[in-house]
Amino acid sequence: MDWWDGFWSTYNTVIFSLGVNAMLALSIYVTLSCGLLSLANAAFMGIGAYAASLISMQTGLPFPVALAVGGALPALVALIIGIPTLRLSGVYLAMATLGFGEVVRVVVLNMDITGGPLGLNGIPLKTEWWHIVLLLALTLYILARMRRSKIGRAFEAIKEDEVAARLMGVNVAGYKLLAFVIGAAIAGVAGGLNAHYTFTIGPGNYAFENAVEILTMAVFGGTGSLVGPTLGGMILTLLPEALRDFNSYRAVVNGLILVLVILYLPKGIWDPRRIRHWVKTFSQRKPQAGGSN
Amino acid sequence: MQFKTLLKTLPLLMLAAGLGSAAHAADVKLGLAAALTGPAAKYGVAIKNGFTLAADEVNAAGGVNGNKLQLIIEDEQGKKEEAINVFKKLIFKDKALLVFGPTLSNSAFAADPIANAAKVVAFGTSNTADGITAMGPFTFRNSVMEADVLPVTTRAAVKHFGIKKVAIIYGNDDAFTKSGYDVFKGTLADQKVPVTTTEAYAKGDVDFKAQLTKIKASNPDAIVCSCLTEEAANIILQTRALGMKQPFIGGNGLNSPKLFDIAKGAGDDTIMGSPWSPENLTPANKAFIAAYKAKFGSDPDQFAAQAYDALHVVADALKKIKLSGAIDKDRIALQQALPSVTIEGATGKFAFRKAPAVTGKEVGYDAQQEAIVNIAKGGKFILLK
Repeated sequence: MDWWDGFWSTYNTVIFSLGVNAMLALSIYVTLSCGLLSLANAAFMGIGAYAASLISMQTGLPFPVALAVGGALPALVALIIGIPTLRLSGVYLAMATLGFGEVVRVVVLNMDITGGPLGLNGIPLKTEWWHIVLLLALTLYILARMRRSKIGRAFEAIKEDEVAARLMGVNVAGYKLLAFVIGAAIAGVAGGLNAHYTFTIGPGNYAFENAVEILTMAVFGGTGSLVGPTLGGMILTLLPEALRDFNSYRAVVNGLILVLVILYLPKGIWDPRRIRHWVKTFSQRKPQAGGSN
Repeated sequence: MQFKTLLKTLPLLMLAAGLGSAAHAADVKLGLAAALTGPAAKYGVAIKNGFTLAADEVNAAGGVNGNKLQLIIEDEQGKKEEAINVFKKLIFKDKALLVFGPTLSNSAFAADPIANAAKVVAFGTSNTADGITAMGPFTFRNSVMEADVLPVTTRAAVKHFGIKKVAIIYGNDDAFTKSGYDVFKGTLADQKVPVTTTEAYAKGDVDFKAQLTKIKASNPDAIVCSCLTEEAANIILQTRALGMKQPFIGGNGLNSPKLFDIAKGAGDDTIMGSPWSPENLTPANKAFIAAYKAKFGSDPDQFAAQAYDALHVVADALKKIKLSGAIDKDRIALQQALPSVTIEGATGKFAFRKAPAVTGKEVGYDAQQEAIVNIAKGGKFILLK
């Protein structure tokens, strides 16, 4: 077990990040599955992280309460800003949500309680591995059930054709808002978990770059199902760590892999149709090879 | 997972095979976490150079008590998660005796708790933020805090120019410039220098005319600038364009040749305080500058100087202890030997000072060092006499 102890103490932060990044990728998957390109998830993650950390640091409330508020506050904010912004679509929505992210960053920067540009330091270490496993499993379960429910079908309909969905009697604005709020809550909880094992948070942790990173995870994995974003978030967390031996070329190799995947697997790594196709061609080839013997 | 371990062990095996019998078990492993890529790379690379230079010097002179020093350098990209991962790798996997770094204060707030929990010294050479050494008894730094440098700088400037009142301009969205501003504000209040107006800007701004016009109207004797080099240079240029002749007072952010690349002669009379200066011609500093130029073909900066000194501080502490080979014991022995080290390095006389006490917590050690006050003349900083 010595081997395991050494491995765990070296890599537990990486393993924690696997789960948290999978949750972040899932949070953007929810909005994407409803046809919304929202880039506000990094900001929601930030709101959740700040809310949860402030509760842990300034009150004696237990960790689950901090996490719950970390999920609820971004959801509330999403509800308020969602009503006007979700009238927009496509790139206009992306721009509006990006703007919202910038507003959050500047507000956090200028508030005293958030520590301004210095951020919050000395956040207690409270996240345990089973918190992450439990919450990721819960997220996956809820989203999987939702996909097969009326809500999931409505999301699908809106994504495929908004006008047709509206004609079918789907409450388009309502469902869009729901997707936005669910996404925000997941991102907020992920933010709260992340803050409680990295000891420090600052306004720079939840900026444009991070919003794009979250989107990349979901798109890299594939947004057709729940497996895609989960895989994408995990692979993109592991990749830089596994490439450590490339030293200064690490970022280049990392980027190269991203480009290759997007070129050859445009629907992400998890693309069941393509996988089925591969399996089929492989199993068709086999008897032929056998026949020649 | 197995593939990953293979990926990681393979180069190590190859390295071990390459070195062959030359590498003996008595090597002292020292970890360095530096931002070698990303926006903070300009500091991280200088830090890495400073450490390599010092380690080579120590090893060429026969090592410490016959043991060679082995630097294990890892890139932390200036990101907090990476800093944590690198610290854990260096401490738990590579079993380093101590870890230098990380480069940025923000990363230090994330990574140093790991080292304190594992009872391994985390030695910062570029972390100037308040509260770094309050994280635990295993946090050390030889980077001088702004709170030690700026009061000296301000007093020297007030005396040199006979300043009665000043205006302040600072970047309010950057941890470094904001904490510099907080220190200046306290210092000016302590030294009873009235502030005519306080103006702020955001990172990336290029036009400061609105703030400077207000400063001009308030007619100060000097302008205090808690800024990074690029912005400071632009602010100085635009101040001169508005016909104002006031001198500038600043901190470490101004300590770069880049200031004069942009501001040219307009930067003259700027007063800047820093722990290191190329004009400080002590024998140790002269030797450092010459060796750095010979090895890397470029001029060293303050970050390289502090890294260089840090390794000599640790080498000095290692001389005093007998390594037992039991890593946990040796790490604690090193932590106990470090506070009493005093050296005469590239940055001058150096000693440790216990950090300000925090109730219910053991604290680490800050740098006890004289700040060097410089004045700009003819496009470079010279010592203010």
